[in-house]
Amino acid sequence: MILAAFRSEWVKLRRPTLLFGTFVGLAAAASLFSILIFTQARHAGSGGDLPNLEDLAQPNGLIHGLSRATVLLGIVAFGIAAAQIASEYTLGTLRQLLVRQPRRVILLAGKYLAVLSFLVAAVIFAAVASGLTSVVMARARGVDTAAWSSATGMHDLSQALGNVTLAVIGFATLGMIVGLVLRSSVAAVIVGFAYLLPFESIVGVIVKGTDRWLPGELLSVIAQGGTPTVGYAAAVTTVTIYLTVAAVAAVILFTHRDVTA
Amino acid sequence: MTSPTNYAVTTQGLTKRFDDRTVVDQIDLAIPAGSVCGFVGPNGAGKTTTIRMLLGLIRPTAGTGSILGRPLTDPPSYLERVGALIEAPAFYPAVSGYDNLLALARLGRVDPEVIGPTLRRVGLADRADDSFRSYSLGMKQRLGIAAALLVTPSLLLLDEPTNGLDPGGILEMRGLVRSLADDGITVFISSHLLAEVEQICDHLVMIRHGRLVFQGSVAELDASQTAELVVRPELLEQVPELLRLVVATGRRAHLDDDGAGIVISADPRWAADLNRLAMRADITLVHLAERRRSLEEAFFALTGTHSGDTRSAPVLEEVR
Repeated sequence: MILAAFRSEWVKLRRPTLLFGTFVGLAAAASLFSILIFTQARHAGSGGDLPNLEDLAQPNGLIHGLSRATVLLGIVAFGIAAAQIASEYTLGTLRQLLVRQPRRVILLAGKYLAVLSFLVAAVIFAAVASGLTSVVMARARGVDTAAWSSATGMHDLSQALGNVTLAVIGFATLGMIVGLVLRSSVAAVIVGFAYLLPFESIVGVIVKGTDRWLPGELLSVIAQGGTPTVGYAAAVTTVTIYLTVAAVAAVILFTHRDVTA
Repeated sequence: MTSPTNYAVTTQGLTKRFDDRTVVDQIDLAIPAGSVCGFVGPNGAGKTTTIRMLLGLIRPTAGTGSILGRPLTDPPSYLERVGALIEAPAFYPAVSGYDNLLALARLGRVDPEVIGPTLRRVGLADRADDSFRSYSLGMKQRLGIAAALLVTPSLLLLDEPTNGLDPGGILEMRGLVRSLADDGITVFISSHLLAEVEQICDHLVMIRHGRLVFQGSVAELDASQTAELVVRPELLEQVPELLRLVVATGRRAHLDDDGAGIVISADPRWAADLNRLAMRADITLVHLAERRRSLEEAFFALTGTHSGDTRSAPVLEEVR
């Protein structure tokens, strides 16, 4: 039954404007980050936050662009996930869906997995585009890419891709929860973006150590595979606790709330 | 007498309160299986809320019931045999009519092969690949009907199905409902257009302010109504005298719409006495007939007043 809900949701997700818009948009964003990383890289020495050309020749040189695009990918994932669920209320389509699948948890699980699969596929597509762009840019800047295809390079690549995917899944889950609670696509996207972008940034500037407990920052930590101040395991654990509690609350709301839209 | 197992829908004391507002108030439904049942009431009477409770979308505050022999508290046990159109048809605007149905078919594990014939049945086969947003109001309504017919329903719940349809579409809808009833499907149609319901239904449920005011067959409704006689004298100037004579017998009467005759609340068997009464007063009658009340008039007679958005019946000037 979850598979039926999953396949049903994909009928909606596969529409060209959403499919191509998301895949091409995320690929373009990730590629842009790769282009910026390579064009801004100095030959040697410190470039501040940015890697230099020597860094880019290391086994993990391929993943810099993708890793730095994570927050953008995450925010897009948040918006799409929130809109997919909230629009069922806004359009009134939820009542049609619940007549055909009255088991609400099953409907929700199928939709959730479909949206996640859509976004994970989009991230992988973006990663491939970012990788190809990095190869082209490396040649243009004379960066030796031999180390990228080494065993260490492949390990770093798969690890980075896994972390970015995990972070995007976290953002998407957060988006679905907000969409379920607010039941309005516009409100969910506005509230989510306002929280993830200015709010967390401002709080992060004013209060020290917020990267240990603010969900958006923790998801960024996961995408980076951990930071010097917050360990990877700690970030994953804290985010998992947050999302589990929020998801349980949202599912209870979804299953008990009258559908009047 | 219909046995309980012959009812497609029954409820006992079905009630829904939103905060302190009671929208549906202790409704006891008994909809015979195989009937075309009209669910009549003004806008805001509680029709849609009742239908949503039957579909498991809204949790009743109180009351019990059964749909197709299964408990109202267990929608998964009966919804796979129920088709529904609830209020305005709701679909994904950017998705084609076919794909909108495909999404529902996949969700309900219905063979997608039924989509084509269903679209043909509602006259949308030519526009199946167009996006829902490009459809006219009537086409959207047809797609909603198609969605309700995706499953092979034993019970069809249609909430205002003729909304947005042109006269031709309304005629087709009537034919469709009748053909579904001929297939043995119970059709429960909510509408505030009483004349429309009157033409296609053989059973009626009337509610007002969330309360049941009538339930039964159309024949039972007719029988429950006080019969009326319509009488016209030969000369227009004799109308007031005839009216005075009738009222003097203790019966309720009023002028008809053009003022050339009188409408009397009376048993049709009183017609002979009326004829003799008029003859004694030297009034020659040119018209004396029994009149059946329209559903609209019956509805207002049962509920007492006009309100909501229900199309108004002609205001009857009662003379007593």
